[in-house]
Amino acid sequence: MSARGDASELASFTADMAQVPPPGSVVVSDWHRCKDSKEYFSKVLHKKRRKNFGLLESPVMPPHVAVDTVHYKIFISGKSGVGKTALAARLAGLNIPNMHHETTGIETTVVYWPVKLRESGRVLFFRLQLWDCGENALRRFDHLLPSCKEQVDAVLFLFSFTDRTSFDDLSNQIAKWTESSVGRVVKLVVGTKFDLFMHCDVSQRDVRDFQETWSLPVLRTGGEVSDGLGDVAPLLNCLSENLWHQDCVTAGPAGQRSQQETVTVL
Amino acid sequence: MMLQDGSTQLLCLTASSGVPLFTRGASKQLPFSVIGSLNGVHMFGGGQEVVLSSCETEGGGKVVWRVFQDSVMLIAVSGGGHRAPGSSKEEEVCLQRLLENVWNCMVLVLGQDELVNVRNVERLKRDLRSCFSLIDQLLEEKQEGILGTLTHCADSLVPPNPSLLQEAVDGFAQAADSEFGCLIVHGRIATATEKWWRLAPQEVVLLSALIRSLSDSGSASCDYPVFLPQGSPTVAHRLLRFQLLPGADVCVLCGPTPSLHRAETGLVGRFWSPLVETLRDCLAVGERCLPGSVSLRPGVLALLLINRETRRSVSCVRTPPHHPLGDSPSLSKARCWELLKLFYIFSISRYFTQEETPCVSPEERAQRGNSEDFLLGFSHQPQQCYLVTEECKSYGLQTAQHQLFLLLSPSVPTFALRTAATQTLSDITAATGF
Ligand SMILES: Nc1nc2c(ncn2[C@@H]2O[C@H](COP(=O)(O)OP(=O)(O)OP(=O)(O)O)[C@@H](O)[C@H]2O)c(=O)[nH]1
Ligand SMILES: [Mg+2]
Repeated sequence: MSARGDASELASFTADMAQVPPPGSVVVSDWHRCKDSKEYFSKVLHKKRRKNFGLLESPVMPPHVAVDTVHYKIFISGKSGVGKTALAARLAGLNIPNMHHETTGIETTVVYWPVKLRESGRVLFFRLQLWDCGENALRRFDHLLPSCKEQVDAVLFLFSFTDRTSFDDLSNQIAKWTESSVGRVVKLVVGTKFDLFMHCDVSQRDVRDFQETWSLPVLRTGGEVSDGLGDVAPLLNCLSENLWHQDCVTAGPAGQRSQQETVTVL
Repeated sequence: MMLQDGSTQLLCLTASSGVPLFTRGASKQLPFSVIGSLNGVHMFGGGQEVVLSSCETEGGGKVVWRVFQDSVMLIAVSGGGHRAPGSSKEEEVCLQRLLENVWNCMVLVLGQDELVNVRNVERLKRDLRSCFSLIDQLLEEKQEGILGTLTHCADSLVPPNPSLLQEAVDGFAQAADSEFGCLIVHGRIATATEKWWRLAPQEVVLLSALIRSLSDSGSASCDYPVFLPQGSPTVAHRLLRFQLLPGADVCVLCGPTPSLHRAETGLVGRFWSPLVETLRDCLAVGERCLPGSVSLRPGVLALLLINRETRRSVSCVRTPPHHPLGDSPSLSKARCWELLKLFYIFSISRYFTQEETPCVSPEERAQRGNSEDFLLGFSHQPQQCYLVTEECKSYGLQTAQHQLFLLLSPSVPTFALRTAATQTLSDITAATGF
């Protein structure tokens, strides 16, 4: 960590304020593959699987390695059957339901993800709480959407590669979250069921065009879950990067995320 | 009498016109023509002022019908095949319970209005899909040691330190603007507010089932709209659930406030952080359901104890099965649970009268008439019964307040069963006040 490093970090933020940071510019991508990440990732793993933390628990580091944990609320949006519940389970390393059972209310899932900031070398635990609400439940009960929107930091807009209408509807969905009333939220687009290429209804070209129009990150997911972290790392790093970037922009160049920041309980 | 777990198929049709709404269960669906006939024969009976409620097929299968609120007909079909003769009565009890539970869970998710005042069948069909998760769970009954959907008593766990937890549940519920709160550990109720116990037994059981499925998914918290089939069938409440530790969930039923976000960030830590160790002790009780202070007599393989007043039950299977020297090879845990369940059904369908539940339909009362006829054959009400098979010995015992169903090793002498049962009952009630 050097003074020069910090300064250039700030410079880049002021340059492209609300812009999406280029991938890997804020956090070290593929850090889970680096040796120095092991002691952090081991705290979120248990027998090679992701550890499930209750609300009263959190990853515990040894006393001499104090790591801050930053909390974020992320809403997963998309039509029924697109794969919201499956994505939340995948990101948390939980069993993915193979049948579509409609989610009849809000379910939240907590993901702890260690991140290394590129410039400062500082390590943080991102506590990402994913809010998943069944689309039909949202329609039947008016109180659910406001609850999902309360103090939300990011939205994942889902479309399915096997369902064209879900892709075509993205612009509508995104527009709803761009109104000033919502406040500042990170927006990411995720294409699900990328593994079902035989039934693919959305071409790579469509995705590229979309990305150019909206300049939002688009990620892909689908297929068997490997026991490693490789299939979720790109999405979680991208999300963490954008959240951190948004915080820095909001708080001003010298600011730090103060709200809700907690020191890991020893 | 020991029936195998065959596959069960569930059909749902509109009562007035017999339009199929959904089918669940059994990988191989019944052909449409058969579904039509099952509906037809029930309607035919209706025309003759006969209520057809169940029948047995030549292959030993069983069909049970029931119409709810004049709007929805549920039919359960179980494929017999390999069942021993004479098991039909037990099977019927199970299927009747299943239909009642399925209906209640349709109301829980969708509310009664939508089911009773059907304006658009296609829309109802689509909305009913949101009940499949719970219905499939009822059909699968996959979790060992959960008997509530059958007994309509809440599967409970007796924590080692009940008063601390009780205080926390009460305080937490109150802070969440609610009178209804409960703590569920390993899928069983460890403590609940007084009002939670005043919900109808079927509601308590169904809410437990819902909470279990949410808890199993590994999610951290939930905000689920639920209708209460008896208490509030047309107005939804919010079920908030928080996973305190994996396997330990606290829930409240509340109105519009507080929001999930606020309850989670403002209340969960405040009330429960000081109790992490108490919760861990409670988790350590595990599937035994009873604290370490209760020691079971040698020879006891499994037990189900029901408190008839509070409509709660505790059940456990000894692991590893305790078997004295020279005993026959021990039963698997799964088989013990199955035998316990079968002995329960055997006892309540033949000897012990069932508890009256608030929502017994006239049809079901007629059903029960049959078994009451059988009971009337006795000059008195049986209070104890036993059954000796190759696998184990079973003893059932009822008092004004309790029912105990006990499985014992075949090596226990038959004359000692009664003492074992009465002793076990007094040991548990003395140690836990259950
Ligand atoms: N092959 C494949 N199947 C997927 C993928 N994501 C989801 N599915 C399947 O798609 C179905 C629907 O997924 P869910 O996650 O339950 O859908 P949802 O968006 O939560 O739907 P609602 O709760 O009704 O709003 C399930 O059967 C999943 O197994 C994927 O990436 N690949
Ligand atoms: Mg879902």
